[in-house]
Amino acid sequence: MADLEERALAAIQAEREGVLQSELWKILSIDSRKCSRVVKKLVDEGRIERIEHKGDGIKTYRLRAKEQALRPDLILAGGEIIPCIACDQECVVEECHLLVDWIYQLAIDEAQK
Amino acid sequence: MKAGEVLDDESIRSYLHRLIGDEGIELLEKFPEEGEYSDEELAEKTGINLNTVRHSLYALYEKRLAEYRRIKNTETGWLTYLWKIRLENIHSALQEEMAMFMEKLEARERYEEENDFYRCRTCGIFTFNDVVDIDFVCPRCSQPVEHFDNEVLLHALKQRIADVRACLGHE
Repeated sequence: MADLEERALAAIQAEREGVLQSELWKILSIDSRKCSRVVKKLVDEGRIERIEHKGDGIKTYRLRAKEQALRPDLILAGGEIIPCIACDQECVVEECHLLVDWIYQLAIDEAQK
Repeated sequence: MKAGEVLDDESIRSYLHRLIGDEGIELLEKFPEEGEYSDEELAEKTGINLNTVRHSLYALYEKRLAEYRRIKNTETGWLTYLWKIRLENIHSALQEEMAMFMEKLEARERYEEENDFYRCRTCGIFTFNDVVDIDFVCPRCSQPVEHFDNEVLLHALKQRIADVRACLGHE
């Protein structure tokens, strides 16, 4: 069940606008009753929200993740980790050359996209 | 969660490397999959210096990526700490780091937005306030400075902040 819950959450997180519950059970290759139980658990845990949705005369729910999937890549720019992590220097954001260098890398990454 | 799987992710590996360095990563790679071990046992099993093992374990412990159980020898009264790795907490550790550095990126964003910048080709970047009263020359080498457009930098910074905010559910 825990594994299925994580799979369901990942499927919901993968779509910015969320996933219809009527689609989720097909994505997960499970039956709709099992899907309802998983969805209820995720709602109870506060990990997703359930919004009523009507389409083609059918009532279902749109499921949206409260948190997007964690993206560890956001700590990197140009393959370099942000200097703020585990930094032991006195923090003056306006004067930190390490941070400025990292932001330059960020701009280079952005330009290369 | 197996250390090998976690360490396969380049970003997570970089993060752990920042915390515990080369030998700490080696410790993670060699840490037995099952069971709990004292620092001395780990030093012996992995061939890594005992002090380095201790330093790495405490650095991981601070981020809840390692935990210990303390046992007392009833005869000698000696305490032994038995360690295991908890890399399943890596995502919450990274989330906390992101929340911390997002504040710094936002502070830098404000600074970039609120200032006009000038560049000396030799000494670097200065703000308008640094050069306005000295006739737009470099405060260090006295060479003329030129206007520096930070738009590209600011755009990249804003984009990363937006991505981190979305990732943390702060939209």
